[in-house]
Order: sequence, then structure tokens, then C-alpha cells
Amino acid sequence: HQVLRIKTKNEEEVKQLQLLESLEHLELDFWINPSARALPVDVRIPAVSVQSVKAFLESQGIEYSILIEDLQDVLDQEQQDMAESAQRQRSSSFDFGAYHTLDDIINELDHLASEYSFVEKIQIGESYEKRPLYVLKFSTGGSNRPAIWLDAGIHSREWVTQASALWIANKIASDYGTDASITSLLDKMDLFLLPVANPDGFVYTHTSNRMWRKTRSKIPGSICVGVDPNRNWDAGFGGPGASKNPCSESYHGPSANSEVEVKSVVDFIKNHGNFKAFLTLHSYSQLLMYPYGYKCTRPDDFAELESLGRAAASSIRSLYGTTFQVGTICKTIYQASGGSIDWSYDNGIKYSFAFELRDTGRYGFLLPANQIIPAAKETWLGLKKIMEHVRDKSS
Amino acid sequence: DIEDVGHKYYLELELEDVLDKGRTVNCTAEVLYHLGSKSTAPDVQLTVQGELRGTEEADQEFYNRIRSLEKELVAENIPDSHGNVPLELEPIHLLAWAASGYVIWQNSTENTEFHLAQVKHVKQVKRSDEDLQFDYVLLLHEMVSQEVIPWEVTVLWHPQHPARVSWDRRQLGHTLG
Repeated sequence: HQVLRIKTKNEEEVKQLQLLESLEHLELDFWINPSARALPVDVRIPAVSVQSVKAFLESQGIEYSILIEDLQDVLDQEQQDMAESAQRQRSSSFDFGAYHTLDDIINELDHLASEYSFVEKIQIGESYEKRPLYVLKFSTGGSNRPAIWLDAGIHSREWVTQASALWIANKIASDYGTDASITSLLDKMDLFLLPVANPDGFVYTHTSNRMWRKTRSKIPGSICVGVDPNRNWDAGFGGPGASKNPCSESYHGPSANSEVEVKSVVDFIKNHGNFKAFLTLHSYSQLLMYPYGYKCTRPDDFAELESLGRAAASSIRSLYGTTFQVGTICKTIYQASGGSIDWSYDNGIKYSFAFELRDTGRYGFLLPANQIIPAAKETWLGLKKIMEHVRDKSS
Repeated sequence: DIEDVGHKYYLELELEDVLDKGRTVNCTAEVLYHLGSKSTAPDVQLTVQGELRGTEEADQEFYNRIRSLEKELVAENIPDSHGNVPLELEPIHLLAWAASGYVIWQNSTENTEFHLAQVKHVKQVKRSDEDLQFDYVLLLHEMVSQEVIPWEVTVLWHPQHPARVSWDRRQLGHTLG
């Protein structure tokens, strides 16, 4: 098949082409249709009609040129190019300094699990739209060792968090055995990492609305979609700092744990029964917070959490000078009810911290990819400080 | 606390030049939030101690470039999903940022914290006078409510005059999801 480009000089010629267009037996496929506008007319012609169409054009004095000599050649080349590219993707290593789709992230989780014997990918539930909720379990042995929980991406538009979680997963896996701190940590404790806590929202930020925050659940009686998963936990649920309007970005949902994404984590942690720390990543604002959000009073362990928070913020700052403010959620950001670390704290998990990563508003949610690794590296130092403390206190 | 008037804040600020990091300028400001009034912008008095960097050459170059475009500039999603801003759209982004500052000021209370989340859309409108006109749709992120609010803003600019917002309106209609 050939593709011709035809340049019409006047209305008469346009009419001739429109006549040609009407002859269905020729099976002409106009990529740009003949019209009065000053655009060229591009048409794909089946092999069997090529000669007769050209003869017709020449007899009418209509100018044309050959855009594509043999369309099949072009298609074959394209197939080859795509196959080669896919091959390159499979064998090359994952680019932690770029943003990825959910599928690519899951592939990398599989890759880590297959490459490291102490890393396992487990499914703890399903999202509203039935996507698996995958957690990486880091465990070098024992039976139900004291554990640390780390999640990212509960608010889907906060892309630096899912990206950082992946870098952190790779860091921990690859440094076990060589880094003294990580080695002693995993020799005593297990780590559970949920890199995409809200997969439905995450996919939606790729396909439809980059600024989507909530889950994608249908709300009975409303045309609006989604619940703020960090207002849906059973901690001061429905109190100040959450909205009862389904169309709001901070809608708390019809009831605590109504969101399967939240319930799955709650059930997993309760069934495990031996979590010592609950850490969660958000962006943006550069904050390191501990409970409470649902009330503006200090937690019983205020002194220890404040001190540990400051030490972690100090570690973060040591790398690139990035400053994180430390404090309770209520004092540092705003009163917010139904939050995850308030739930974990009130359920006996003392070391509950929420991080808000880079930046402070210049790019906000749209943090340039070249800042992913620096953000992940500095955040990791803060997390490590906390984990080391938890390790020391749990043994 | 100023009885029957409102709340006044005295601020000492350090401004950092985003395009010339390391270059800082100190300034002081007084901000008065009026009591109970949701429809009046806070009063702001600002004193800059020092000089701001001159940008005449870059301004003129941008002005000439836009004036010589055959077709009006149109762009969207600045930065894109991955945080990228094409080099030639940087000034458009910066102009949007300045304009968002005005809109944010006009709509701020002691319980709001706005940031420019993204330039959703920008369209240049050719004018018969010397000014450049850009019609923007900006996405403003409000931290306390976590809402992302689309806002229509018309900006006029000329190398010798400061940028000004000639028209702005919160975009109607709610994103349902």
C-alpha cells in the first residue's frame, strides 16, 4: 500500500478528489480528507488501486508526491523497534530517579522479591477497584518478630512518596549484609513496606487527574467519588478537621474503615499483633509529625517522640540542608481527625510518625523527577534514625 | 490583637531569588487581617531592604520573542505531571506565579494557605496596545482544606511595567471525580 500526498491548486481539483473519495470500490483511506482548506490531502491506497489512482491524478493535472512508498515496510520496522525497546526495558535496571506507572512499580517489587531471599511480596487485600494491595516483607528469620510498618502514596497525587518508597526498598535490600545499621535492624526486626497504599487513586492520577487525592469509591447518594483515606481511620473519626461533604478532598467517608484500602491495613496490623512502629509518607511541606491530629493535646509519650523527631530531622538536614519542622500534627499542620498515625498510636504502636516530604510549595505535588533520589535519600536518614531507636528499645 | 479591628502580624522575611540562589534580600512586613471580614483582603505593608536583581535584558528578550510569534502562544500543564517545565515556558510559569501571588493575597485569611499547584492552561491574547496579555487557568492548592481550585486569571505585562492581574475569577463547576 502507498500513501500519497496531494496538493490541490483550486476548488475544481478539490471536487475531483471528493469524487474519488466517493468511489467505494477503490477502498481509499483518506488520512486527511479533501476540503476547501489549505491542507494537503493524504490518502492510503491499496496496492491494487495504486496505478489507476495515479493515472487519474496525472490525467487531471493534479500534483502529488509519494509520502510512503510501502506502508508494510514502515509497519514491520515499527514492530521491530517496539520489540527491541521492550527487550531493553526488561533487562535494564529500574530508574529510581523517574516516576513510574503502577504496573512498572509492581514489576520492580517482583524483581526485588526474586532477587533477595529475605524479601517477599505479599498481598494484604484489594482496593475498591480490585487492585491488589502489595506489601514487601523484609524478614531474615524468626517467627513474628517485632515489626516496623512503612507506607507511601495513601494520597495518590503525592508522587514523590511512592517513588521514594521504591528507592528505600531497594536501598534496604541491597545494603543488608554490608551496612551495619540495616543489618542489625533486619537481624532483630521485620519491616513491612506498602509503597502504593492507594492504587486506584494512583492510576487515576496517571490516566485522568494528576491532582486526585482520595480513593475512587462510589459514595451512596452522591455524584462525587472518593474518600480521603487519611481521615477514614478509627481515631476521633468524624471529628474536626475532616469533612462530611462527599465532594470534599477531606471527606471522611460514611464510617471509620469504610475504605477497603484502610481496612486491609488495619486488619493486617491487628492480626500480626507485634508492630512497634508505624511510619507513613506524604508530601509536601517538609514536616515530621507525631500524634495527635484529632485533638490538640500532647500524647503521653510526647517527650520521647519530640526528641526522636528532632533527631530524625537533624539526620535529614545533614545531607542536603533540607529542613523539616517537627511537632504534633495538630500544632504543626492542622487539626485532622481519622488519621492513620493517631489510630496506630492509640492502638499501642508508640513510634508513630508521619512525614511530609519535599518541597515547601515551589513545585508542590509536581516535584521534578530529578529530586526523587535526593528526597528519598534524606528521608531514609530520618527513617533510619527512628528505626534504630525502635530496634534498641525493642530488644 | 487590635480590638475591634483585627489581628496584626509583624514579619521579618528573607527573600531568596529563585533564579539566583544564594542571592537574598531582607524585608519587613506588616499584615493586618480584618476582624470577621471574609471578603476583604488583608492589608499588607512591605519594605524591601536592598535591591532586587535587574532583569531588563531578559525581560526585553522574552517580550520580543512573544511579540514575534505568528500564532498566539497556547500551553497547558506547566509543570507537567513529572514536574518538568520546558525552557521556553519558564517565563510563562514565573508570570503565573507572580499573578497567583496577587490572587492568593486577595483570598487569604488566617486559616488558609495557598500555593500555585500548576498552570492548567495558558493562552496569549493579542492586543492592540503594547502590553502582553495571558489568560491563565491556574490550579491553586489550599493546604487546610486540601482542595485544588481552578482559577481564571488575566495577566497584563510589559517590560517597563510590573505585571498586573486585570481580571480574575474562581472557575465555576466542581470536579466530581
